[in-house]
Amino acid sequence: MFDLTKRRFVQLAGLSIANRILPGRLRAQELKPRGPSNKVILVTFGGGVRYSETFAPEGLVNIPRLVELRPQGHFFRNCVNSGVLSHFNSTASIVTGNWQRVDDFGSEPPAKATLFEYYRKQTGAGPLDAWVVATNKSFASMGWGSDRSLGQPYGANVVLPKQLLLEAVQETVKKGSRGGVADRENVLRHLEGVLSEGYEGVGWTIFKAGHKLDQHVRDTLVRGLAEYINGPEAPSSGDELTFFIAREIMREFSPRLMLVNFWDMDVAHWGSYSLYLNAITRTDRLTGMLWDEIQTNANYKGKTTMLVLPELGRDGDANAANGFLNHRSGDPSCRNMWLLALGGGGGAGVPRGESERVVHHVDVAATAAELLGIKVGGLAGSPMGELL
Amino acid sequence: MPAKSPKVSATLQNLIDKGLLDRLPVSFSAFCIDQMQEWELLFPAERNYYERLFALLDRSSPAAVERLFAPIREIERKMGVNEKTWPADRFTLEQVDFLNRNPYYPEWRRAVAAVFAELDPVLDTETVRGGHARLVVVIAPAELPVDAARMWTRLPNRGKRIAIQAPERVEEFAALLLTGTKDGRAPTIAERFASGKKGGAYSSWIVEAGSGLSRLGGDSSSVVKYSYTSLDTYRKRLMQEVQRVVDSQEAAGPRQLSARLKQLKILASEGGVARDPILAEFARAILLSGNGTLLLNNTFVEWATVQAVRRARPSVAIIGFGVRNKVKPFSNLLIYADQEAANPIPTQMDTLGSYVDLEIFYQYIWQEFDKYAEYSNNTAYVFAGEGLDEVLAIAPPDFPLLAASEPFTLPTVFQHLTDWLGVGA
Repeated sequence: MFDLTKRRFVQLAGLSIANRILPGRLRAQELKPRGPSNKVILVTFGGGVRYSETFAPEGLVNIPRLVELRPQGHFFRNCVNSGVLSHFNSTASIVTGNWQRVDDFGSEPPAKATLFEYYRKQTGAGPLDAWVVATNKSFASMGWGSDRSLGQPYGANVVLPKQLLLEAVQETVKKGSRGGVADRENVLRHLEGVLSEGYEGVGWTIFKAGHKLDQHVRDTLVRGLAEYINGPEAPSSGDELTFFIAREIMREFSPRLMLVNFWDMDVAHWGSYSLYLNAITRTDRLTGMLWDEIQTNANYKGKTTMLVLPELGRDGDANAANGFLNHRSGDPSCRNMWLLALGGGGGAGVPRGESERVVHHVDVAATAAELLGIKVGGLAGSPMGELL
Repeated sequence: MPAKSPKVSATLQNLIDKGLLDRLPVSFSAFCIDQMQEWELLFPAERNYYERLFALLDRSSPAAVERLFAPIREIERKMGVNEKTWPADRFTLEQVDFLNRNPYYPEWRRAVAAVFAELDPVLDTETVRGGHARLVVVIAPAELPVDAARMWTRLPNRGKRIAIQAPERVEEFAALLLTGTKDGRAPTIAERFASGKKGGAYSSWIVEAGSGLSRLGGDSSSVVKYSYTSLDTYRKRLMQEVQRVVDSQEAAGPRQLSARLKQLKILASEGGVARDPILAEFARAILLSGNGTLLLNNTFVEWATVQAVRRARPSVAIIGFGVRNKVKPFSNLLIYADQEAANPIPTQMDTLGSYVDLEIFYQYIWQEFDKYAEYSNNTAYVFAGEGLDEVLAIAPPDFPLLAASEPFTLPTVFQHLTDWLGVGA
């Protein structure tokens, strides 16, 4: 057995990403952003979650970490998604500050420039300083919008850790290996295959990435994957992998702007309320662990604002569209959510408190821009004054 | 008459020929045309609804119709609905996408809802006039790890808990409740209703996770039966086909995929419902609706029931839930794979998870029936659990079980149910 822990794997995975993104020469020259050193991490409960299973009195039991953190931050009780109630458009509205109405399967980038582009262009930050870590493959085009004055040169790296796992698992099944996915070695073998054959097929968008991994990095990564897959907490949840990679990116690159999009709770579409609740609790735990990382990582502690919000809600129980299973009705349960702001750079940070005032998903980009000290124009949203 | 009018009943065709659809906003009429497109695959209740809807519009004054639809026309104008964005009579995924992405979509939805809010009460009055007693029986599996006191917790103030004498052998529970006999060979209550004077095709349904309820009673083809277990072969073929189409990228987009999925009809060897085109299409639609019906037995039961209510309006519905299996590692990544083949880890029941799942499904099912005028004030709902010594009854005051003063035996419960429906021996 290889002597590597899961934690070591993600460290190595992070390193491998670094090596793929930038050769050592270029890494040494990584641009330092101008302006204040505040950092912003956006965390979305992707896939959609209702108030009733989160911050409504009956839902608090599902989110013990957020309940614990709520008094330490600023809680907006009314955060409204007034846009298209689909996954890509909802998150694209968050990162562009404008309601997005593009194809929801990721075949089109956001129609407006993203926060990542404004941030990198105005501060001169390099490509390691803005990241999207997501689960849904359609989010591969979330890193930059179609505004030609900005676009790819200023976009964010997009990594989709779950897709790596998915490819490997599907290959395992397709090849009919004895033991199927229960034999983790099968999964591992196919993970190796995915990494060898070109991970771009997985949907990742990494700047300056090559098609072939350096042999040494690849071997190292495979050793890490072996431990990861065979460890006691084998990743059956895409969100756990998303978390580990996000945390490793924080440790390795300390980006100032990052979006982490969790996704497991979209299992609600399967029609199992218990699995949906389990996923919410897992996302709560992982979000808490991200906050813990911020508190213990010297590059983040005291200078980071973490904004946590559901991407969208889900249909209400009384709705004709089949309640929690879907998010297509447009009823208040689909649109009305919450936002929790934690931390804050410099001074006293985010003022503790709660607001009844209605804020919107498009206000997030405007607020993050202020926190990062950049100017953005033409946003539908406005900065949340309570956090500034 | 629009060139692409569907083949409909003579009554409806007359109204279409008179230009009724042409007087309606294009987004509304196109939706209706789309819904009626496969007229021969609609349930009688659906056909009847469209006939009554358009008859109502036809007999309303042109000024009233114009007033009713004016808000939709106004929003269509703001949305940019024109011949280019919305060719006449077309309602495909392109139009759905057009609506979804339009900033005025919420307004459009509200305007459409307002139209139905005005029309439905009139149609409902007609429905209520022709009403009759109906029955819904929902049976939970014996394996749930709770007693009766912790069952049906989302419906606490809706009905009355009634003590019953559960049989010593839990296997006899459903047979006694639905046929009045231990061996279950007598006609079920669903069969009795279907063959009675108010019954008929599509009036009685059994939807279940297992196959035990469908085997009760005689060999009656008059009862619609959908069993997750019995559809196993069809389900697995669908999963393989969907995975193949996705893997091979044969379908360029959602529209092409949808067209491919339309072709995946149930074979005669895969289930009795294949004999009836309406029921065959219903099975296909339920399993490919994207709501976990291929994967989870109870999701199948809930969704099939909800759709049966929306579309067929059964008078008697027997709904049997089961225990779903625990989700195996990586299962959430293998939506269309046969879990048994993909992962040889022994399958385990998730009894607690199933309990949590079902508590919300009881509510959804009751709510769904309660939305429609057919079920207003004349429907008895009996929620039972195999082996439990209580049932929950939600029913009009004259439902006989509500008068219970001491625990009923299941044959007595059965007798009261048949009396309620007027199909007693």
